[in-house]
Amino acid sequence: MPTNRKYYRPYIGPCDPCPPIRVKSYETPPQLYLGFQPYGLKQFDPSTALRKGTLWPALYAPYTNPYEPREEEE
Amino acid sequence: MSKTLSEEFYRLMEQLQEVDFVLVELTLYLDTHPEDYDAIKQFNEFAQKSMVLKQQIETKYGPLQQYGNSYSGYPWNWDQPPWPWQM
Repeated sequence: MPTNRKYYRPYIGPCDPCPPIRVKSYETPPQLYLGFQPYGLKQFDPSTALRKGTLWPALYAPYTNPYEPREEEE
Repeated sequence: MSKTLSEEFYRLMEQLQEVDFVLVELTLYLDTHPEDYDAIKQFNEFAQKSMVLKQQIETKYGPLQQYGNSYSGYPWNWDQPPWPWQM
């Protein structure tokens, strides 16, 4: 489940030497939206669980690169 | 302990890591879900699997742990390479 990415507009100072970054984003982990983990959630099989770093697909949250292909984001 | 590590060793160690990771995840899950019967059943099943794997590895490649958590070979060989970071 791709984590939803939140965006915000940082304050841009008038004497900012570098070109300002107008919109910034950050990943929010799925457990914020899960609350108490329900019983009997679907599980990865052991080998993928080891590679993905979690046993439950619902909690799988890789840090996607926001600057990668834009259309990937939701 | 064979100096060049066999493919078999790496395969067994990877399986052990997978089983142990599932045990870690289930432990954390069961801390907050003590009545989840299926998870406990799965936990015990994987614990048994882990013991069997450890027993296989240790009979062939020497002890994995110390202070009585693993049998020792003869001569005293718990300090033989490879260490975990050398594997």
